[in-house]
Amino acid sequence: MTIAECLTYNNGKAMNAKDFVWPTVLACSKVLFDLEGATTTYTSVEGGQDYYDGKVPYVSGLRLIDDYTFSVTIAAEKLPYYYDLGYAAFTAFDIAYWLGEGYELKDDGEGCYIAGDFTAEAIKAQMEYARFNAGPDRVSAGPYNLVEFDKAALQATLTINPNYVGNFEGQKPSIEKIVIVKAEDATWADAIKTGSMNFYDTITDGAHINTALDIIEEGGFDYVQFDRPGYGMVNFACDFGPTQFVNVRQAIAKLLDRVEFANTFCLGWGGVVNGPYGTAMWQYKEAEEWLNENLDAYAYNPEEAVALLVEDGWIYNADGSDWTEGNIRHKKVTAEEAGTYAHNITLADGTILMPLIVEWSSSEANPVSDLLKVMLAESDATKAAGLQINQNVMTFTELLNFYYRDSSQGDKYAIPTYGMFNLATNFSSAVYDMSYEWTDDPDLVALGYNLNHLFDDVLDWLSMEMVYGVSPEEPETYLILWQKYMQRWNELMPQLPLYSNVYITMYPDWLEGYEQDSYWGFDKAILYATVAE
Amino acid sequence: MGKYILKRCGYIVVVFLIISFLMYSLYNLIPNDPARAQLEGLRSSLKPAEYEAMYQSLRDQMGLNDSLMVRYLRWMGLWTDTDGKTFNGLLQGNFGYSNLFKRDVIDVIVDPMSNTIFINIFSTILSLAITIPLGIYCAVHKKKKFDSATQVVTMLGYSLPVYIIALVFMFLFCVNWRIFPVMGIKTAGIEYANNWEAFTDKLLHVTLPVIVMTFGSLGGMTRYVRSAMIEALSMDYIRTARAKGLREKIVIYSHAWRNALLPVITSILGWFLSIFSGSVVIENTFSLSGMGALYWQGLNNNDFELVLAIQMFYSIVSLVGSLLIDISYGLVDPRVRVDK
Repeated sequence: MTIAECLTYNNGKAMNAKDFVWPTVLACSKVLFDLEGATTTYTSVEGGQDYYDGKVPYVSGLRLIDDYTFSVTIAAEKLPYYYDLGYAAFTAFDIAYWLGEGYELKDDGEGCYIAGDFTAEAIKAQMEYARFNAGPDRVSAGPYNLVEFDKAALQATLTINPNYVGNFEGQKPSIEKIVIVKAEDATWADAIKTGSMNFYDTITDGAHINTALDIIEEGGFDYVQFDRPGYGMVNFACDFGPTQFVNVRQAIAKLLDRVEFANTFCLGWGGVVNGPYGTAMWQYKEAEEWLNENLDAYAYNPEEAVALLVEDGWIYNADGSDWTEGNIRHKKVTAEEAGTYAHNITLADGTILMPLIVEWSSSEANPVSDLLKVMLAESDATKAAGLQINQNVMTFTELLNFYYRDSSQGDKYAIPTYGMFNLATNFSSAVYDMSYEWTDDPDLVALGYNLNHLFDDVLDWLSMEMVYGVSPEEPETYLILWQKYMQRWNELMPQLPLYSNVYITMYPDWLEGYEQDSYWGFDKAILYATVAE
Repeated sequence: MGKYILKRCGYIVVVFLIISFLMYSLYNLIPNDPARAQLEGLRSSLKPAEYEAMYQSLRDQMGLNDSLMVRYLRWMGLWTDTDGKTFNGLLQGNFGYSNLFKRDVIDVIVDPMSNTIFINIFSTILSLAITIPLGIYCAVHKKKKFDSATQVVTMLGYSLPVYIIALVFMFLFCVNWRIFPVMGIKTAGIEYANNWEAFTDKLLHVTLPVIVMTFGSLGGMTRYVRSAMIEALSMDYIRTARAKGLREKIVIYSHAWRNALLPVITSILGWFLSIFSGSVVIENTFSLSGMGALYWQGLNNNDFELVLAIQMFYSIVSLVGSLLIDISYGLVDPRVRVDK
């Protein structure tokens, strides 16, 4: 990699290749871990693991070629990888500012290392200072300088870095000063009305968006709208109880009017997705038509839900007689299917009946849970279908322990207890990597992989092949695998996507050229914004 | 007196140790895995074996694999750190590490604490300056129109939730009349010419929160002072003092107020001690960075070392405060002896 020779820090000091390489050496070292830093860099750079383990004093995969050129070799086991470009992400930091005087990046022919007293104890104080320092002596290289951070007021002031030569397009900022303030849900609108602030980045709540639009309508403000790169969902445990059966999961999907749910929850600022994607993702934009044609939308249809249950054998009452209206449905199951599910009934002849009761782990003080309770758990359609969903309200930490089946936090968590969890996810990084998420390796499952406990070879293969079997030069092949992955996922329904929000950012109408989306955030978009003449 | 204080200090140490162990144990009962939380964001970029190695190593570094007693003693500074060599706990001045802020707890607490004290000092002084004379005046003019009106107003402040008062006052003073800023403790982007400008700007920002806090606390103390004074004024020695021909001011302030002070002093000292504790509602409503908001943030994010440090601080403040209250009884009322 060769860097441009014109690059400087905000203080005018010229950059060279060493400025880009030493942070990666630090990230490969045990020193960062000792400083409470978490990094995975050492696993992807060749020789990084040996350096991390203290076997060698240098990172062999990092080499200085000349003042402006360096190379990185990626560990063989990390390749091929569809997102391998991410391994080559380097950022410049001033070593004297971050580590202090007396440190230098060196390469004696075998790899790069940091010369000097490179220990956690020696650099901790300077690192702490460098991290939290704000003022004229802060050395950085971005478009803005952090000139002040008022800890008492939680207010950061940024001004243009005159030495910034521009982003990858040569774009420089023109807004002289940015002040970032902390706002509160209850008072942000009054703060905008009274001029305490004039920019609100990424408003996510539907009610707040409507309030913002009211203010915008009064004049003086404008807004940009963009899709969330994720979604809220119900997660199913697919290895025990009724939710182990795909028909039950699909029936639950058909018993919930998701369009209405999304509209109600997002107050019109959101929609429904039918797979594990967000509508802001490039994959979705490329494949939208195909997804609409090939994924089942599981439209609200209680009759079809009942048909799915009947087809799956949920046709008995608790005493083994044929199911009658007003009762909970039961299904004859094998001992293996019955597992540890708490509600099973064993009849006198040894037949095991599983009742259609789903235990739902629901986080406290969560408006999604409240709406889900009304629209699904306690709805007439659900009751009429012979399905009972029991809401169990708990803290989010408790929910996660049951979801992870984390025995380290208590034996009870290791026992499958809940069939449904309401959660949310974001794909805020461009890297869409679902590898190992559907593994059937019990050791990996015990580590927290495949949290849905859905063991499907096709889904597992697609999730691995999508990132490890395709070259970055083959986006078409990648997209075909991505679509197949979505289709298989949609059939098996390990999750029920509930809503995917639409966000807005409101800004003063004298700001021109401000364009933002989920992957092109405020920090990038503001460079292109100008003040109207 | 010295012996009594020494004995009470000994009790404070014992009670503090018991409280600290109970609090530490309670928080550790909450199922939570900070190592898992820290690594969750990196899991997708790690192969399973790498994740497991990092996870175990992080648990070792955080000392999560040790028993509860070892972790408690380590946190207190009575057991060696995870390096097995040094003692680095509460007793050595290490208040812990905030997983949320990725900083030492002491660094996290300093600024919110200064904000909280700044606001509470004004609020406490203002409240006492209003409520004590008001309570005395109402007691002396019991059942007169002013007394009845004061009872209604103070009851209103006492009964209304503080967030309602805050929002109503904010609507009136900030949005309608534009007298005070809506939020924060500093005007965004302002550059001060001198310290006085900075002080007045801060004062402008905290005035409304102080007014709201004061309004909310008027009822309790006014009524408390009033009832203590009414009781004192009904005593025989007041009748005797009046019969002796003493001036009414002397009767009220020297005879009645001195005797009414004993029950009131508990509340007054309690108020002064509460200048260290923030208000979750006020701080969140006005976007102030204070102890209440910080405590709430720590609880919501399972940042237990931060929460524990705050609670231990409050425990000490309470224990020392109760000692001060007991000592003050002896100073205020010669009949109370605290040296036994």
